[in-house]
Parts: sequence; structure tokens; C-alpha cells
Amino acid sequence: MAEMDVMRLFAMWMFTHEEADELMKEAVARGASVEREGMTGGSDAFTDGFMAMVAEEKERLKAEIAAGTLGRPEPEDERYAELKFEVGELRGRLDQMQATLDAIAAKLGAGGK
Amino acid sequence: MSARSRRIAGTLARHGLRALARARFATGARRRAVSAQAWLAAFEELGGAFLKLGQLISVRPDEFGDELAGAMARLRDEVAADPYERIAPIIEADLGGPARELFASFDETPLASASIAQVHAATLAEPYRPVWGEELPAGAEVVVKVIRPGSAAALLADIAEGRAFIARLNRLGLLRDIDLTGLLDEFELSVRRELDLRVEGRVADRFAFDFRHDPKIAVPRIVWSRTSPHVLTMERMYGWRLSELDEAELAGVDAHGLAVHGATAFMRQVMVYGRFHADLHPSNLFVTPDGRIAYLDFGIVGHLSDEDRGWIGQVLAAFVYRDADRALRYSAKLGVVVPPEKIAKVRAELGVLLDTMLGGESADFRHFGFGFLTLLRRNGIAVPAGYGLLVKSLATVEGVARRLYPDIDIMDTAKPFVTRLIGESIGSPETLRERLPLAWRAAMRELMA
Repeated sequence: MAEMDVMRLFAMWMFTHEEADELMKEAVARGASVEREGMTGGSDAFTDGFMAMVAEEKERLKAEIAAGTLGRPEPEDERYAELKFEVGELRGRLDQMQATLDAIAAKLGAGGK
Repeated sequence: MSARSRRIAGTLARHGLRALARARFATGARRRAVSAQAWLAAFEELGGAFLKLGQLISVRPDEFGDELAGAMARLRDEVAADPYERIAPIIEADLGGPARELFASFDETPLASASIAQVHAATLAEPYRPVWGEELPAGAEVVVKVIRPGSAAALLADIAEGRAFIARLNRLGLLRDIDLTGLLDEFELSVRRELDLRVEGRVADRFAFDFRHDPKIAVPRIVWSRTSPHVLTMERMYGWRLSELDEAELAGVDAHGLAVHGATAFMRQVMVYGRFHADLHPSNLFVTPDGRIAYLDFGIVGHLSDEDRGWIGQVLAAFVYRDADRALRYSAKLGVVVPPEKIAKVRAELGVLLDTMLGGESADFRHFGFGFLTLLRRNGIAVPAGYGLLVKSLATVEGVARRLYPDIDIMDTAKPFVTRLIGESIGSPETLRERLPLAWRAAMRELMA
């Protein structure tokens, strides 16, 4: 059995990576193009557009890493906001029901709440 | 035949005959324009449900043609208000006291009036803590929307008459090309929702919550202690209606930024929240002096399931990237099923429509959307009501955005939004489980080829 050429293996890996990288960069460039005329349409156009957005996300990721803000939680707790809204909705319903109750009481001449 | 039925038939016949006489030598567009004016005059004279029906027709040029839809747009303008004496008993019956005791001040002259309700200005007698947002202080300016007396009964009676009338026309074979029964169903559902103003209040609260992180969107706060099925009290918003935009532009509003933001906000409503304002016309949108978009009137709102939101995102992506295959594949999941023998033909026609309407210098979604619906109908493919409403709403958003900024390209605005949305959906465990083995096999197939 022939001995495996490690250099050759790494070279192939590097070559494959380089080729894929070039194709990806071309897709990003096509997708980032804002010229409608330059778009061919169809599923390839979507893939290019998607790649351009992934590239934008990569830049944001790089910026977050540089700023040391990666992985920090959102300032607002969404669960708290949802619950606050739910309670607000219930309060609104009660207020509205109380208004209806007051109207009925007024009609009946009961006067009190 | 009831008196109202006789009146409807008589009015339609009189205006129809008058139009025939006027258009006797006319052809094509001129003939259609004369006929549209006759329908408009008849609807204005009949009032009640016909005003509301006319408004519905005004946003469906795909179904009724540009001339009739254009003529009916006039019904969106003000209709004569009821005097305060007729409105006062409704407020008193629903809220238990006269308006002057319920509010610090109440203007008996209405601010605006429409077919179902009219709106009065007032100020709060005491502070109110709304469902979402800052407290409204005592003295805060509000508007009080009141269902006009008798409008509910008149509307529902007219709908019942309309059903009988359409059934008669159908039996005579006079409505082969127009699905008036479907339109009436859609109409009745929307009218019943609009007749309970609490539904509108709840939707407004939800919108305020959905857009809580967006400083450019304003939604009026609802005063629930002064609200009932027939009375809705909400914060008063000031600004310019879109039709008065010249004034706003002079005040230095960033029209392009607002147009893009408004269009993106609509896409978020559809594809992120699953609830969308389905009655966006220039009088339901304000631009505030501080450069925000204020949504008013949540009477007609579309609702979407989580699954449908995903499919709609895919269909919109297909439109943006002019991918006819993707459009048909995901439209099928929304109920637009093209029979196998028609797929090639519909696909080819859709491809031409996509390239013609959305592929030029600037996309024209309105004509594309209505062209697509017409294409489906021409090929005998049923369009579910929700799908039609969505296409119509997107077309309206384009129209509204163009009022803000005539050169806006709605497809360019949609592009980053839908691309990101679909990209994010790829990350779901279900999608990964389903697609990764296929992606791996496709990659191997390419390598082995």
C-alpha cells in the first residue's frame, strides 16, 4: 500500500477551501448588488441574496467579538414584557366590564358601583 | 319582495338604464367608465351596506376592473354625520351617563364620519392607565368613536336582502364571471367584526405591543373605562393624512425613510406577528409631526397561523427573486392548488408576469398582484379569501408607500426582510433534520457527476 502524502492531502484541502471561498465571494458580490437589472431571477438569485446576508451577519459577528459584546442577553426581558401586556389586557377588560356594569346600574337606578 | 328590495332593484335599474342611454355610442373604457359612475350613483343613493360594499369593491380592481374600483374609491370620503342628538343616547346607554359627565369636555360636532361610525373629540376627566404605554393624564385629548344609530340593523338587513338578490341574479345566470356570494360572505364577516368596537380596541392594543421596540410606529392608546361594543375611546393622534403629505414634506419629514419603514413594518405584521392591518388607505394612516407613522382604524385585520406565515414568507421571497417554481410550490401550501395538467402553462404565464412587472427598473407589485390573481382565475384556480386579502394588502402597502415616496421599490424593500426570514427558518431543528440529508446527497451527486 502506497504511503499517504500528507502534504498532498493538505494541499487538496487548501485548494478545495480556496475554490469554495472564491465561489462564495462571487455569490456574496452578486447578492449584494442592488441593481435589479443584474439579477437573473430564480432560485440562484435567492441563494446569492442569502449569501450576501450571511456575509453581513459575519461582519456584525466580527464587530461583536471585537467589542466584547458577543452573547450578552437582550436588555429587556421578553417574558416580563409579555406578562406585563397580558396583565394590562386583563386590566383593560375589567375596566371595560366595569363601564358596562356602571351603565346597567345607572339604567336600573341602583346608582352605586 | 320587501320595500327595501323593491327600492334596491328600482334604484339599480334606474341608474343602469340611465348609463345605457349615456353610453349607447361609447365602447371599451368609456363605456366601462359610464357604467362605473352609474353603480357609484346607485350605491350612494342606497346608502347603508352599499356604502361599505362600495368601499370593499374599491380595493378589488382584480375582481371588478380599474374603472369600477376607481369610481367606488369616492365612497371612502366623508359621508354625512348624524346629529349629536342621535349619538348621545348610544353613549348614555352603553356607558351609563351623558358624554359631558363622562369626559372633561366633549365636542358635539363630529370630527369625521363614515358609513358605520362617527368620531367626536373629547378630553379625559381623569387619568387612565392603558394596556400598554404611558398613562394618559386627566385632560388628555381623545377621540370617541360611536357606532351610528341603526347602522348595524340597516347593514345586516341589507346583507340579507343582498343575499336574496344575488341568488336571483345567479338563477338568471347573470353573474357567471363574478363571485358575488363569496364577496358578500367576506363582507358580512368584516362588517360583523366592525360592529363591535371592542374588537378594534383589542387589536390596537396588540399592535402597540407588537411594535413596542419601534420608535417610528405610533398606535393610539385605548381608554377601556370609556369603551363598549358601540363606543371606542382612544388617544387622539395629530399629523398629516397621506393625502396631505406635501405639508409634511415641507415640515422636513424623511419621506423615503418612512416609506421604507412603513412597508417593512407591514411585512413584519404579516410574517412575524401573523396579524396585519388589512384596511390601509390614506385616511387610516397619519404621518406625525415628529416623523412617525401612526396607524388608525383597526376595523379590518387579517390573521395568519404560524404555518401560513412561513409559507407566505416563501411566496414573497419567490416574488422578490422572481422564482415561479417556488411561488407555485408554496402557494399550493396556502390553498392555491394548480392541477398537474395546468402547472406548465401557469408557471410560464407567472414567469412572464414576474419578469414584466417585477423585473424592470422599478417593480410594480400592485399590477403584478392583481395580474397574478387574474391569471389564477383565468385558469380556473380557486383563490382562498385569505390569500386574496394578503395580495390585495401588499398591493395597497405599495400604493401607500408610493404616496410617501413615489420612487420606492417595494420588492427591493422586501428583499432583505424575506431573505433573512427564510434564512432564519433554515435554522429550525425540523428543517435541519429534513433538509440536511438531502443537502448532503445533493453535494455528493455534484461531486460524483
